[in-house]
Amino acid sequence: MQRRRFLQSSALASTLLLVPKFLHALDRPETGLAAMLRDAPGGKARRLIVVQLSGGNDGLNTVIPYRNELYFKARPSLALKEAEGILPLSEDLGLHPKMTGLKGLYDQGQLAVLNAVGYPNPDRSHFRSMDIWQTGSGSEQLLTTGWLGRYLDSSCAGCALPYQALEVDDTLSLALKGQFRKGLAVKTPGKFHQLTQSRYLSRLSQEKPAATATSELDYLYKTLAETASSAEYLYDKSKVHASTATYPNTDLGRNLKTTAELISSGVESRVYYLAISGFDTHVRQHEQQGRLLGELSDGLAALAADLQKSNEWENTLVMVFSEFGRRVTQNASNGTDHGTANNVFLLSGALRKPGLLNAPASLADLDQGDLRYQVDFRSLYASILTDWLGADDKLVLGPGIERLAGLV
Amino acid sequence: MTSQQQLQHLYWRAGFGPRPEDIAAGLSPNKALRQLLRDAEKCEPIDSPVFHYADPLGAVMAVQPAAPAPNLAAMRPAPASTPGELSPLVPRSAPAPARKLSAPVLRRRDLTPEQRKQQNEGIRDAFVAMSTAWMDRMATGPGQLREKMALFWHGHFACRTRRPDDSLALLNTIRAHALGKFPDLLLAVSREPAMLQFLNNQQNRKEHPNENFAREVMELFTLGRGNYAETDVKEAARAFTGWSYDGDNNFVFRARQHDDGPKTFLGHSGNLGGEDVLTIIMQQPAAATFLVTKMYRFFVNDVPNPAHIEPLAAAFRKSHYNIADLAERLFSADWFYDSANVGARIKSPVELIAGLRRTLNLQIDNAKPLLGYQKALGQTLFMPPNVAGWPGGRNWIDSSSLLLRLQLPAILFKNAEFAVRLKDDENDITPQTTGKERTVRNTAGAHLPLAPLQQLLGSTPAAGRPGQLAQFLLQAPIRPENLALVQQAADKAATPEEQLRATLISLLSLPEYQLS
Repeated sequence: MQRRRFLQSSALASTLLLVPKFLHALDRPETGLAAMLRDAPGGKARRLIVVQLSGGNDGLNTVIPYRNELYFKARPSLALKEAEGILPLSEDLGLHPKMTGLKGLYDQGQLAVLNAVGYPNPDRSHFRSMDIWQTGSGSEQLLTTGWLGRYLDSSCAGCALPYQALEVDDTLSLALKGQFRKGLAVKTPGKFHQLTQSRYLSRLSQEKPAATATSELDYLYKTLAETASSAEYLYDKSKVHASTATYPNTDLGRNLKTTAELISSGVESRVYYLAISGFDTHVRQHEQQGRLLGELSDGLAALAADLQKSNEWENTLVMVFSEFGRRVTQNASNGTDHGTANNVFLLSGALRKPGLLNAPASLADLDQGDLRYQVDFRSLYASILTDWLGADDKLVLGPGIERLAGLV
Repeated sequence: MTSQQQLQHLYWRAGFGPRPEDIAAGLSPNKALRQLLRDAEKCEPIDSPVFHYADPLGAVMAVQPAAPAPNLAAMRPAPASTPGELSPLVPRSAPAPARKLSAPVLRRRDLTPEQRKQQNEGIRDAFVAMSTAWMDRMATGPGQLREKMALFWHGHFACRTRRPDDSLALLNTIRAHALGKFPDLLLAVSREPAMLQFLNNQQNRKEHPNENFAREVMELFTLGRGNYAETDVKEAARAFTGWSYDGDNNFVFRARQHDDGPKTFLGHSGNLGGEDVLTIIMQQPAAATFLVTKMYRFFVNDVPNPAHIEPLAAAFRKSHYNIADLAERLFSADWFYDSANVGARIKSPVELIAGLRRTLNLQIDNAKPLLGYQKALGQTLFMPPNVAGWPGGRNWIDSSSLLLRLQLPAILFKNAEFAVRLKDDENDITPQTTGKERTVRNTAGAHLPLAPLQQLLGSTPAAGRPGQLAQFLLQAPIRPENLALVQQAADKAATPEEQLRATLISLLSLPEYQLS
């Protein structure tokens, strides 16, 4: 594990320098309409869905520089060729052949690709790098709260219940744990509700914490009461809308469907967090990654169509990230080892700037065999927090993080 | 507060909870503390052949994994070491697994995919076996205070490795010195390959100092921020250049990589080495305050009280950092038994599960599901979240972890079905596990012997039993409405035995049980 600290100012300087030029150019005052949309009443506030690709997705075989000689040179047996069905996004870049769903969204202006996202002094441990992405720290910082948890802390002080941020899983990720507020892990509203329904627990959950509510015991009772009422709320609400759309019959597919149902039912959560794992492709990458990317792409396309139907797609932003990309050169097992910078996908029915947002990382100018990052992921977070969720990114990420103006 | 309550408080904080027989023995808290100190004197290393997995290539564990290291210094091949350059220092505190010295040096990248998978699973299983063995010591061992103190140091000197033997050696070093002199503990930990590797001191060389280890030694292990300057970090890093370990995981001082120029560290100048830096650190008054504050938060109350801490810190310094002496002072202080400090801490998942096992003399057929639930609750031994350790306190609690905590006793004692899918976040060890493989199911096979509890209850009439058991099991006073709930659950049971089980499960399922 590497943990060097850099002066805040140097991190700031590098972020400023590396922000793609067009994003500066796009910086313009927000329209009145966008502001209204953001604060629109009636559950129409904007929401964010984060999809985490666990294991380190190989970005080079996801958004493929299919006309770059260096790519083919580095990956004699792993490079994908145009003739294999690469889905062109531009003259130089194309999506993995299995990602027809995302290609469709790209053609409709509902997908944006941000290339070469990373952070200084990249860490190649899955655990540590995911920690960095989930807490929104630098590689030299240790934080015990997640970036979306701090979003809840900063924007949700008055929120009564933790369902403001939901993770579709059995356990809660650090990303959704703040100092004062935490999100809620809900695999399905039914399962979660059932957990709180034993007679004993439901009796306990109705007990009120003492008025002063300062002791650890009060905190436990308060958490229990909030959990039970959130479970009640989600269970009741989720019965409003059952999706009839077809999602991939996989864990991610089911979780995306649950998410769409909650959103279409009018659940007021601002953040949804989902993960799909298996991207650690050291060995025989082709089959594994192709299957996962197909599942991801089909699932997201189904989600977009589903939310379009319920008029929620324009209020929804999806961010897809992985803890790191992989090394440029393939290894001896037809796989790739842990790398650095990676692409991030943004999807929405209301993207301000769809398409390819910046040039891919150079394959000629590598950092000891790894891609150099151009965009600090915290700048992306800052943009989403302030420009999409209407929060104050400084309260969540601290000072010195430059937003990517005009992004969302 | 009754003497029984005080006794229970002591057993929960200085160990992993009271057993019915501890209460029956009826020692005064003072006598019990002296007994705990005596029982902790002996230290048996934790070791077992099952920890040392059969590696596909034998010697492969003796070299670094081939995954690229994160900084420039690491990318350079290590200079070929000559025998004359290596000067082994202290022997390892734990018996290292036998390795063939003459085995060819192979690297992880030379393994076939199948061998890699086999290696990964070997590593994972070794960590599971080590966790199980340590949890057993906590739950059933006599050296309660040593294990509790070791758990504290395990979080203090937090370290994650992919190498079970390194992690085990570090643990046994910590256990051996857990109640000794802190400077000895610090020096021993600083020479452990696990820590040197985790904090990149292998890459700390004269030409390219790596400050990671030097920084954490001061920031997290001894002084805390604000008690040194950036230049002190740089100078300390120079002093630690050459602190390394060899292919057999013995600490070595590589003189050629050591910067033997003059240095100035915290006001002291000279040709300082790593030992000098540690000695100078321990001369800083901030060290005792920092360490005692951290211990106070672990053993007494999450909210530090300087009026309690300062006198302890002064005595700790005066005793040359004698940890057993500090423990004795802390656990016998008047304020330790203040009602504000009793039942005021949220148990860590390790304390919760080891405590359940200990206080109820629980027999487990299969410990693996318990480790799975423990991980779902956020604590896996040997896998702290980062070098700062587990943040603890309210950080343990969110909606899903609380629901699991409250239902765990019922799951175990009713042998109920309960599936939790764990996250895929330990893939630094076993990548690419399927959702099914990550799903914990209850196959623990827990057996709850009732005899010790029946003995504890003696001739107490049925109506008084829930209250009496509540006093034994809960460190926070039970709310009257909850006592009524527990009584109702017991009333439904047909036989006295079922009544007792129902009462137990109800009490253990209360939020009050989450506190110690």
